[in-house]
Amino acid sequence: MTVVYVPSWLKKMGYTPTFCIIILGIFVYAAIFPKTISPYSPEIRFSPYGEPDENHMLGTDDMGYDILTLLIYATRISLIIGVFAGILSLCIGTSIGIASGFHQGWIDDLMMGVTDITLIIPKIPVIILIAAYLHPSIWILIIVLGLFSWETTARVVRAKTMQIRNSGFVLSSRCLGFSSFSIIIHDIIPVIYPVLLPKFMLTIAGAMISEASLSFLGLSDPMMESWGKMIADAFSHGGFIREMWWWFLPPAICICVTVLAITRIGMMYESNEPEMAFK
Amino acid sequence: MVKIHPAGIFLSQKLLRYLLSFFCILLIVFLLPRMMPGDPVSNLVGEDIYLSQSTIDSLRAAFGLDTPLHEQFIRYCLQIMHGDLGYSYHMHGPVFEILISRAWWTLVYTIPSIIIGAWIGISLGARAGFQSGKWWSDVIASIALVISSTPPYLLSLLALVLFVYHLGLFPFKGFYDTYNLQSILYHLTLPTLVLISFYASRNILIMRGAVLTEKELLYPQFARSLGIPEREILFHHIRKNAIIPLIALIALDFGFLFSGALFIEIVFSLSGMGSLMYDAILARDYPILTGSLLIIAIFVIIANITADIMSLIIDPRIRRSS
Repeated sequence: MTVVYVPSWLKKMGYTPTFCIIILGIFVYAAIFPKTISPYSPEIRFSPYGEPDENHMLGTDDMGYDILTLLIYATRISLIIGVFAGILSLCIGTSIGIASGFHQGWIDDLMMGVTDITLIIPKIPVIILIAAYLHPSIWILIIVLGLFSWETTARVVRAKTMQIRNSGFVLSSRCLGFSSFSIIIHDIIPVIYPVLLPKFMLTIAGAMISEASLSFLGLSDPMMESWGKMIADAFSHGGFIREMWWWFLPPAICICVTVLAITRIGMMYESNEPEMAFK
Repeated sequence: MVKIHPAGIFLSQKLLRYLLSFFCILLIVFLLPRMMPGDPVSNLVGEDIYLSQSTIDSLRAAFGLDTPLHEQFIRYCLQIMHGDLGYSYHMHGPVFEILISRAWWTLVYTIPSIIIGAWIGISLGARAGFQSGKWWSDVIASIALVISSTPPYLLSLLALVLFVYHLGLFPFKGFYDTYNLQSILYHLTLPTLVLISFYASRNILIMRGAVLTEKELLYPQFARSLGIPEREILFHHIRKNAIIPLIALIALDFGFLFSGALFIEIVFSLSGMGSLMYDAILARDYPILTGSLLIIAIFVIIANITADIMSLIIDPRIRRSS
């Protein structure tokens, strides 16, 4: 596991969990209620390739859509893909991790073997191949991204579970006759929660970056506007060659800011220092 | 009884897992075209290709699509062992030869980028971690943090806009105008720089973190109390320990060099293996896609084995405990 320390002045500048939660909150608000803040409806078309002016704060794209509106509506898809892929990978990772850490023996060997084997498979090429065959909708994208990102979670959860499975409170609930399932739900999950949160957040960030990359390859849902797809459109429809920075920079900044905010929130419980794993 | 060295057991366990995961990848590649909706023949040769009925029938026979799945799988594995990755109807050639001819160009600039990126990452990261209070250390770490939370293709796109479109410092696309060293170097400078900054920033972050952790331990303090100069503590004591997690990552970079170069090649229109994959995605040229996946998988597994052997050599703790 790699440990990354955030520079001290970034913290002073406000790169704190509170600030990041506020930032993320704004994005989540934009994702749930895009109507309330977007200047136009996403279906209205204006003259294409417009420069920023008082009517269109970020100009218009090749089809004449208002870019600010697109940006706000794209938040929803980007966040949905990240969060749901994160949830899926968290569920798989946690169940495999707890099962192998709690039961040990051959279950442990089998599950850790599967984890190691999945860990070695080169993710991005396999996802590309699957996406090329499936012509994905966002749900397929979520499933594929979730299915290929649970291994590190499983490892961490297993290590933590093995640490606490012999501790006093687990042993006493076992003596009282609670079932394994109840022990896992009531005793183990609350204790490993601080490990789960950073892993969950990192997976979300990773899934968002992967989604942006897949959109760029033309492998996301063509009907769904996400930040990655906006950049891909700007690339393939002449936004870059015309140097229309107001088209491709806002989604780019949104992706970076969200990723940075999400990772920082994930590090919230690490007492002194945060951890990060970018691949 | 013959006593096997613990390192041998460690390696053979690892090797078994690598073989199994290669088997899994083979299974994915084998099953995907046959399980997907639609005609398996068109899933195997790629979409948007017109084939006459007689060709389709002969292909069906050649793939053995009428035989049971396990026989097909054995036939498929035998083919791959002979280096036969199929035939691309879009590119009109055997997949293996197309891949090899394109792969050279990718290797030309990715290998130097990984090496330089590793060197910059290790040296800058170690210094930045050792003197973490200094302003320049924080600046380096912040830049590295921002770069590594940017999707790789975005970084290349921004570099393209800034240096090529806006400033006009570098050429738009391709490996060369005229086939000579000067032209090739000129064309490869910007993609290589972008790739280096990407590798370097990740290495800096990890190296800095590792040094920060190591320097709080007892052994550097003991070395300091013996009067060993700071520079020597960093380079002779801390760096040796801090570098261990990085070695595996750098070895893996070599494994992932083809997929790492994917976005760079698309953005800068370099016709290496990455853009070959991109064209294959756009044209749904499945033989090329599966072929490149298998090549990448082999590279990744070789890189993993190298990483294991190197960590055995470097870190005596693994040698003893395994």
